[in-house]
Amino acid sequence: MFTEYIFHFLSILSLFSAVMVLASKKPIHSVLFLTLAFFAIAGHYVLLNAQFLAVVHVIVYAGAIMVLFLFTVMLLNLNKDEQSQKPMWVKIMAVIAGGMLMLTLIGILRKYDIQSVQDPMTTQIGLVKNLGKILYNDYFVPFELSSVLFLTAMVGAVLLGKKEQI
Amino acid sequence: MLIMRHELLLIAITVILLIVEIFLPNTQKHKIILPAILLMAAVTVIGFFPGTPGVLFGGMFQSTQLTMMFKNILNIGVLIVFIQSVDWLKQDQNKEKISEFFLLMLATLIGMNYMISSGDFLMFYIGLELATIPVAALAAFERLKEKSAEAGVKLIFSSALSSGILLYGLSMIYGTTGTMYFADVAPLITGVPLQVLAFIFFFAGMAFKISLVPFHLWTADVYEGAPVNVTSYLSVISKGAAVFIFTIILYTVFSKIAVMWSDLIYVVTILTITVGNLFALRQQNLKRFLAFSSIAQAGFILLGVIGQSQLGMTTVIYFVLVYIFSNLGAFGVVGIISNRTGKENINDYDGLYRTNPNLSLVMMLALFSLAGIPPLAGFFGKFFLFTAAAKQGYYILVLIALINTIISLYYYLLVIKAMLLNNSDHPIAKIRSDNYTRLGLLICVAGMVIIGFTSSIYEMVFNLSFGLY
Amino acid sequence: MSAESLILFFIVGAFLVGFAIVFSIFVAPTSTNPQKAEPYECGIPTEGLTWLQFNVGYYLFAIIFLIFDVEAVFIFPWAVVMKEMGMIAFVEIVIFFFVLGLGLLYAWKKGALKWE
Repeated sequence: MFTEYIFHFLSILSLFSAVMVLASKKPIHSVLFLTLAFFAIAGHYVLLNAQFLAVVHVIVYAGAIMVLFLFTVMLLNLNKDEQSQKPMWVKIMAVIAGGMLMLTLIGILRKYDIQSVQDPMTTQIGLVKNLGKILYNDYFVPFELSSVLFLTAMVGAVLLGKKEQI
Repeated sequence: MLIMRHELLLIAITVILLIVEIFLPNTQKHKIILPAILLMAAVTVIGFFPGTPGVLFGGMFQSTQLTMMFKNILNIGVLIVFIQSVDWLKQDQNKEKISEFFLLMLATLIGMNYMISSGDFLMFYIGLELATIPVAALAAFERLKEKSAEAGVKLIFSSALSSGILLYGLSMIYGTTGTMYFADVAPLITGVPLQVLAFIFFFAGMAFKISLVPFHLWTADVYEGAPVNVTSYLSVISKGAAVFIFTIILYTVFSKIAVMWSDLIYVVTILTITVGNLFALRQQNLKRFLAFSSIAQAGFILLGVIGQSQLGMTTVIYFVLVYIFSNLGAFGVVGIISNRTGKENINDYDGLYRTNPNLSLVMMLALFSLAGIPPLAGFFGKFFLFTAAAKQGYYILVLIALINTIISLYYYLLVIKAMLLNNSDHPIAKIRSDNYTRLGLLICVAGMVIIGFTSSIYEMVFNLSFGLY
Repeated sequence: MSAESLILFFIVGAFLVGFAIVFSIFVAPTSTNPQKAEPYECGIPTEGLTWLQFNVGYYLFAIIFLIFDVEAVFIFPWAVVMKEMGMIAFVEIVIFFFVLGLGLLYAWKKGALKWE
């Protein structure tokens, strides 16, 4: 089916760009690949009939957070030769550990039969209206708490980012 | 409203302090110290009035006598940290940032309170984040010092990573059960492999926050770099709150797969106690030393967690209570000496008793309490933890823990020996501490001694822990 | 609207843009010479690293922008359900705004919004 092709395409795209984030030598390229990965994931949200989440993902992650990442890269004044080289055995260990985690995940997911999956097109749980109702009814406290979180983030940012007046 | 009393009060005083801060001119910032402490003290006192337990928002927020009790414990701890910080906050480089210190601390406390009372994984997660992110800003508080900035960065990276792992685990739990509420999740935990993996991720995320071995690598650097008062906050309050909710979730949500997690905790306990102790042996910097000793203490707390029973829960809370007073006492002394002289090494403490008998006495009591020497509260805390584990039949574990207690006794005594017996040509000069510091240390000493002698506190906790699972 | 049509829209959009770029490559006349590869076609060649470090001040702006960006995300679903939920939703968002407004006031008062 058409949706299935799109799903495969998006999955390959997101995996590829996620790998490229780590593999590319220049930090700017990493950041741009990360943006691509975010877009691919936003596509997945659309497939799950969660348009609002997809748009938010693009605006917040691909928009605002990527700007922050780019700022950080520009701020750090990275030079190529400053990149630290890990010894070989660390790399091998990392590959072994990561590979084992991957095998575990694959094994577990193969064994788990997903029966309770509801069709997102019929439940329409991802639509803005349903999301809003849940957010402002059941999840009222976490919502207000997130405003306190923003407040402290702002206080912390001002505390650390402001020029010291001497 | 009454059910959420602790949280609403804290939010109220945070907002008050923020408004005061906004309208306070730059030269008057130090005037906020006394009101902040008094407000916090008032909240602490009000917290002790009997409250109504209950559930709000369909199980999102649950308040029991036990959580109220623990919130009171946290309030006391934060109050002590506030009082101890005054001396440091009055220094020139900090005097423009005084209210930020209080604001961020209160924000983390609000986060912890919601985290403790959460009845839902999402709520738990937001509380956890609110309890973690501001601490990173606090760790980098003296941002012009390289070590402090490094501590902040290391803390935010490791906590972001651990939050990510934890969130992944939570998403798997949601995927297998279709709900986030503790009460609804619990019966649906059947121990299928995906849920076990979810639990392992959850465990790893929490182990980062509690700094259990092998997730402890950030601890020593962060503790060393952060300002002393922030370190004491991190090692006591943050850790205590995380341990508490961790235990509750283990006992309530994951009680069906207890067979699996008790094995996991068995191994982690042995590793944590042993590694923490062995590394503490070789530290010269007192902050690093206390960091590793606090890792070992976290391992001891797990002894109570593994004895999955009413007794286990009681011992965990009791130990956290005792630990707050002991560790804050030790950090209080380290803090005042570090602020006044900048000296943080054990060698610098040579001959401290000659010049500062009171400070070294407090330090000695605190270290004895941490080590678990009988008349002090620390002994009872450890003793009950051992009992809880032994009652479940973990004799070998208790034996290993006992051996480690002896090792820990050795290195705690090293510091005491430096203070009392060693002579030094240049001992730390006499420090005239201000009233705030004295009060803070006095509360710690009183706590260590009184809790050790009154058994009623233990019985009270024991009764409150009833019927948790 | 189904997901397919939205994704089709994106694909067609990407195709159109790609087509315009590729088409212009074939159609436009090309000429290459060393001067064209320089950063400035006129003026002095650059020396040393062209990488320049940004002021930390930008970062503060960016992070405050991010916070309000996320805040805006929360307001959109509120606007959608506001009519149905009535007063409760209104009170909720007022509390939310109050806390964030305090944050803005704080940043303002601290001079974080001032460019130095």
